[in-house]
Amino acid sequence: MDARGELVRRCALKRLASIGPLSKEGFSELLSAVAADPRSFADDAEEQAFLEIEQTLEKERAATAGDDLLDDDEYQRERRRRFGRIATSCDRALALDPTCIDARLLSCLVADQEPDATLGLLLELDHDVADQHGAIVTSEGEDAWDDVFLRPRLRVRAAISRTCLDTARYRMAASSCLSLIDASPTDALGARLTAALALARLEDETGFDELDARFLRQGNAWSHLARVLLLFKLDRPAAARRALRGFDSLCTGGAYALLRPTYVETYLPDRPQSKPGSFEEVTLCVHEADPIVVDTPDFIPWASEQPGFAESAGRFADRLGYDM
Amino acid sequence: MSFDPNKEDYQRLGLRYARTLDPSDPFATARAFATFSRRFSQSRDSLPQSDGDRAFHLVTKATDLIDYQLPFAPDEECGPIMDEAARVLEEAIDLDPSCHDAVRMRAAADYGSFEGYYQYLSKGADAVRQDCVARHDEALANGHDEGRVLEAELAMMPYVRWMSTLAAKALICGHYTRCLSICLDLIGDDPSDPSDVRFTGALACAKLEDASALDRLGSLSHAAARHDDSEDGWLLLARIALAHKSHDLELARELVSRCLSAYPHAGITLSRQDELPDGVFARLAVPAFSEDELIIAVSEATVVLEEGRDSSDLGSLGSWIAHEPAVVASCEQDPESSALVSLDTGRN
Repeated sequence: MDARGELVRRCALKRLASIGPLSKEGFSELLSAVAADPRSFADDAEEQAFLEIEQTLEKERAATAGDDLLDDDEYQRERRRRFGRIATSCDRALALDPTCIDARLLSCLVADQEPDATLGLLLELDHDVADQHGAIVTSEGEDAWDDVFLRPRLRVRAAISRTCLDTARYRMAASSCLSLIDASPTDALGARLTAALALARLEDETGFDELDARFLRQGNAWSHLARVLLLFKLDRPAAARRALRGFDSLCTGGAYALLRPTYVETYLPDRPQSKPGSFEEVTLCVHEADPIVVDTPDFIPWASEQPGFAESAGRFADRLGYDM
Repeated sequence: MSFDPNKEDYQRLGLRYARTLDPSDPFATARAFATFSRRFSQSRDSLPQSDGDRAFHLVTKATDLIDYQLPFAPDEECGPIMDEAARVLEEAIDLDPSCHDAVRMRAAADYGSFEGYYQYLSKGADAVRQDCVARHDEALANGHDEGRVLEAELAMMPYVRWMSTLAAKALICGHYTRCLSICLDLIGDDPSDPSDVRFTGALACAKLEDASALDRLGSLSHAAARHDDSEDGWLLLARIALAHKSHDLELARELVSRCLSAYPHAGITLSRQDELPDGVFARLAVPAFSEDELIIAVSEATVVLEEGRDSSDLGSLGSWIAHEPAVVASCEQDPESSALVSLDTGRN
């Protein structure tokens, strides 16, 4: 989440509303001024609450830099402290603005409950927000993401769909993603990634293909892995083998990521940005796909037996000095 | 698919025996039948039988060893039981290389992975079908007596069991569309669903989150339904899963309470969620709506229950059911449950 960027835009838009129309140049000057000192532009309680969240997220993101050096126990302790600090910050934000959606969203996530319970909290939040603001309505050709004030609601929806995936609710995950994509066709939150995995798990080849076509078949780690899973599940081993080769060649370290999945921290509040085709991207993708991979018990043994796949993982590990 | 192999063994020999009798002498026939049961159980070798009949009898022996003795045997007896079962199956195949049940059961031990066994069954399916259909057609064409319909039915059973096993493995391996299509084909062939493959199909519908397929499965196999208005454990678990997956927890709760009233000691079974080995001949034969039936249904539903992230080993739905207040209460109020708890404590 680019909290800083959103804060600046929100404050600038509110200031613009109070001072009247500005030229394009004028508005960009206003944006620069807000960027230089957002605090003095956060005029109302809503923006002060948003500022609180933005600052906490920035601070905590910087604090994760040393996590790799901690052992498991230390990491868990640090994680609990971090979640506690974020929860406290959310409380401060909600004291300023009880309707701050991002603060409520983060509160649900750092409560760190079982995914099933988290889904309950998120659905309640979504319900409350819809009660208060009505449905997200966009006209033909519009993208809800362009309205910076709607973005928190889209983030709630994206978190719901990912949590549906985590709790084995694939139909719900897919439909929630598809409605999110309808509201925001640019799909900045990557609902198509979650949808690809859900449709593969449901063995919905038509749905998967429609989704792929909708995004002009610009693949990503999720769609590549989802295709392998889909074809394996549909018992088309030759096609699955080709898709597996594609996954490994298009995603840096794909074979290694799949055969040696690593822990990925809870998204706060949404999926971290990663470079397309990077190892970071495929690591997130494999983590998200884990419940589906586990549900297909012989998928990993099958993948590791495919010619060249385990060797590719080994070469990647050697190159980066990782354990294999 | 619960099949009693002993019943089938009895039917096979009964049919063959009937053929040896002189239909023009009803008194002699009646006398002969009066002694059949005794001869079947006490001097089986005195009855006429083919190598195929002898091989099937060995299948019943192997079934008793693998499906009914092995799960309850102490560790030190497991090895000898498995060796004996392997020997018996080998003997059956020597007698009748086209004894598909024996071949299928022997292969179960040869594959280390579910996928390997699934692929094996899948590749062999067409040949088994051809052979069974040929025997079925031959029985209908050549027989002139009342037994020919039964003989034709029995001829198809090895194929039905082959495919039901394939469907069960497809479910475990995550090939849900394939699983459902096998189930629908088998029910299409015979709506009385002798192997109860609709149970496996119901779980595939839950995995595919396809409520309309579950309805279709129900209407196709209505001839097999056991009670007009009560649902079996598999169907209930599938419907609980569909409700839970669409986050309709109120409906899921209502279905859980139906399950609690349909089966004895259901609270304990739904809390424990034990996973048992599948029967190798077929699904274990247990009485309908018995405690054991729900134990088997829950065990087969493990693939549905344990999916999703959850810090317990139970999975998303499994954990929800185990913690559902009605299940917890039913478990606590069940006198059997205190016996279980003390057993567990004793073990620790």
